[in-house]
Amino acid sequence: MATRLQFENNCEVGVFSKLTNAYCLVAIGGSENFYSAFESELADVIPIVKTSIGGTRIIGRLCAGNKNGLLVPHTTTDQELQHLRNSLPDQVVVQRIDERLSALGNCIACNDYVALAHTDLDKETEEIIADVLGVEVFRQTIAGNILVGSYCALSNKGGMVHPHTSVEDLEELSTLLQVPLVAGTVNRGSEVIAAGMTVNDWTSFCGSDTTATELSVIDSIFKLREAQPSSIVDEMRKSLIDTYV
Amino acid sequence: MVQYNFKRITVVPNGKEFVDIILSRTQRQTPTVVHKGYKINRLRQFYMRKVKYTQTNFHAKLSAIIDEFPRLEQIHPFYGDLLHVLYNKDHYKLALGQVNTARNLISKISKDYVKLLKYGDSLYRCKCLKVAALGRMCTVLKRITPSLAYLEQIRQHMARLPSIDPNTRTVLICGYPNVGKSSFMNKVTRADVDVQPYAFTTKSLFVGHTDYKYLRYQVIDTPGILDRPFEDRNIIEMCSITALAHLRAAVLFFLDISGSCGYTIAQQAALFHSIKSLFMNKPLVIVCNKTDLMPMENISEEDRKLIEEMKSEAMKTAMGASEEQVLLKMSTLTDEGVMSVKNAACERLLDQRVEAKMKSKKINDHLNRFHVAIPKPRDSIERLPCIPQVVLEAKAKEAAAMEKRKTEKDLEEENGGAGVYSASLKKNYILQHDEWKEDIMPEILDGHNVADFIDPDILQRLAELEREEGIREAGVEEADMEMDIEKLSDEQLKQLSEIRKKKAILIKNHRLKKTVAQNRSTVPRKFDKDKKYTTKRMGRELSAMGLDPSSAMDRARSKSRGRKRDRSEDAGNDAMDVDDEQQSNKKQRVRSKSRAMSISRSQSRPPAHEVVPGEGFKDSTQKLSAIKISNKSHKKRDKNARRGEADRVIPTLRPKHLFSGKRGKGKTDRR
Repeated sequence: MATRLQFENNCEVGVFSKLTNAYCLVAIGGSENFYSAFESELADVIPIVKTSIGGTRIIGRLCAGNKNGLLVPHTTTDQELQHLRNSLPDQVVVQRIDERLSALGNCIACNDYVALAHTDLDKETEEIIADVLGVEVFRQTIAGNILVGSYCALSNKGGMVHPHTSVEDLEELSTLLQVPLVAGTVNRGSEVIAAGMTVNDWTSFCGSDTTATELSVIDSIFKLREAQPSSIVDEMRKSLIDTYV
Repeated sequence: MVQYNFKRITVVPNGKEFVDIILSRTQRQTPTVVHKGYKINRLRQFYMRKVKYTQTNFHAKLSAIIDEFPRLEQIHPFYGDLLHVLYNKDHYKLALGQVNTARNLISKISKDYVKLLKYGDSLYRCKCLKVAALGRMCTVLKRITPSLAYLEQIRQHMARLPSIDPNTRTVLICGYPNVGKSSFMNKVTRADVDVQPYAFTTKSLFVGHTDYKYLRYQVIDTPGILDRPFEDRNIIEMCSITALAHLRAAVLFFLDISGSCGYTIAQQAALFHSIKSLFMNKPLVIVCNKTDLMPMENISEEDRKLIEEMKSEAMKTAMGASEEQVLLKMSTLTDEGVMSVKNAACERLLDQRVEAKMKSKKINDHLNRFHVAIPKPRDSIERLPCIPQVVLEAKAKEAAAMEKRKTEKDLEEENGGAGVYSASLKKNYILQHDEWKEDIMPEILDGHNVADFIDPDILQRLAELEREEGIREAGVEEADMEMDIEKLSDEQLKQLSEIRKKKAILIKNHRLKKTVAQNRSTVPRKFDKDKKYTTKRMGRELSAMGLDPSSAMDRARSKSRGRKRDRSEDAGNDAMDVDDEQQSNKKQRVRSKSRAMSISRSQSRPPAHEVVPGEGFKDSTQKLSAIKISNKSHKKRDKNARRGEADRVIPTLRPKHLFSGKRGKGKTDRR
């Protein structure tokens, strides 16, 4: 079930956290409120790591990962890398990438089987992504945007993409990713999906600005709390029409 | 985002305050000191300024009043009619019209008196005109005092109106007085409308908000409506009629089937039929309230027939709604059926709005928002979710006790709160031994970065790198072997030796030439003071290079044919020319020696005009010209007894001891 929260009065929770099926990374804040929100949902299931990357707190936008591995940019210090390796399970490979586009969270959108990548990534980086994360890599754009990691949120059960994605693009991406997809928003109409939310196969966290309608779409498409993607076109159709048209 | 907000209208002062405000401002903002001795132009300007300033202030303040009050024709018809019902459109417009008239009159007065002041001929007359102008302006304003008071009352009441958005989703509650409308309002929203057991407790519109299917609906409670002709309805009832007429809302018509409101079902049915034209194109739900007092089964046959008539009438406007959604039962006291009434009304309204929007063209831009893309299989790989077993088990026993885990936030509060508590980042490390958590890992060890060597396979990788390095070095050695194969042949070696020898000779000659030359100037080659460049030598060198020298020698000889004397000299010197460095060096020394001898023997010196080789002159004529120019250049200097160009001595032109006569009687101090 989706949880609404904010990090130091900022609703873009996907910028300050990274959630996968094997671990969760959380930024170091001035208080423990943000960390405890994740802790109360996940602490008994997966490790929750408080960390920084390259001295910054925007860890969700700098790293990309799934249950098999974690990719961090070249700006990561050796101490941070060691801290991550000490905190994560052994089967999670932590790899530092020497890539020009160092905001890996904005360039890569992945679940445990498939990844979408920025069209300008190096060939070597693409191979590293395939090896470390254990995924098929496709170079794609979403609604004409090359920052696929920002405009797309993926799990193994569903995905949400930029609200201006056309129906044909939705079908194509759905076939590539092999999960149901919907075009939606978070944080009261924000189209930067991954910055406003973070999701794995059984739970999700959104910014506190997310409306009830958006939250319901998230529950449906990611199959949280027994909801199904078909309810978006059945039960919620009227609400969505009255909201958006 | 309230579209209609009447709370921001500025306070309208009454007539007396208005005059005080304007005149005080004129007194404070314009000059006040004047003397009768001033020029007449200055006096006129002084008083014209006062009149004009007062008029400007009146105009600004009256314009603000006119602009801030809403224009009834330009706002939503609901608000237009509501303001008409509450304040009477005619009175409202008359009041604003009088304010506008006052503004125009004041402008006219100002113009007239400024014109008169331009012809004022004394201080007293100008002052009288100013007083008359301001007085007349105040008189005009005094006449509109009732209008200003009326507008102030309207402003205060407008500020108390609820903020109703006419364009959003709206549920409207209407019916006879005392049938339970306000009770329903308080149940489904957070509004707190007064509820009393007598009629007309609610005397104005109230608004509350509720949620249904993730959407927000505003619920409007209206005063009760009595069944009487339109002309006889009072202001309270007309508020309800206005809302019914102009808001595209779902209408809940409340029916008290117990009769405890003081009116019979027949009277309520008559009201329904008399206002049913207002229900056109609106979702309509008839709500039978107070079922706790009078269950539906106990209604008399006659009343039941009346209700059935109302139901059939409502079905005409239902537009596809089922019978169960048109007539509902409810009791606000026991909360029975309240939520089903709210849901039915909201559902009907949502259906209607969605149906209207589906017909518009705007929906084509948003079709992707209502579409879920289901993937088609493209391979046989199975992609299952990766939910840990713990989560599945937790979901299975969801009803189990929710034992709360002590979170970091709880620890923070126990240990001093945010800013004081500092959590350990190593607490949750996953290591082979827990005692390793607090170990200190150095960054630099023996001058090396530890992280560069943290690798279990580092020895293996080192072996691989060494093997690769060996392979690369073998490649480099082969390249070196290839280099050695290229050796020079004997012929090439001989040529190389000759080239180097010749270069050495040239360098040696150049250095010798620089040494022997001492301070003599460099002369063009054609003067050939060493007699090295002769035709025969040129021919010999060309022959040595394998070229035929005959044509070159002929051309050189033809150029020198006209100089017979020079030719004889050249012929004499050729015998001494030897192409050998040592002999050339020896010749050079002989020449230097002969030059020294010629200096010592002054009697054998040639005349001044004769050209000596090495001086740089081509003939005696040129030498004589040079000598003349040189003498001319220092003639002036010689005349002034200067030793040279650098001689800048200034002698004492008038020495004191030579030009002073005998001393007088006074002191000897010349100063």
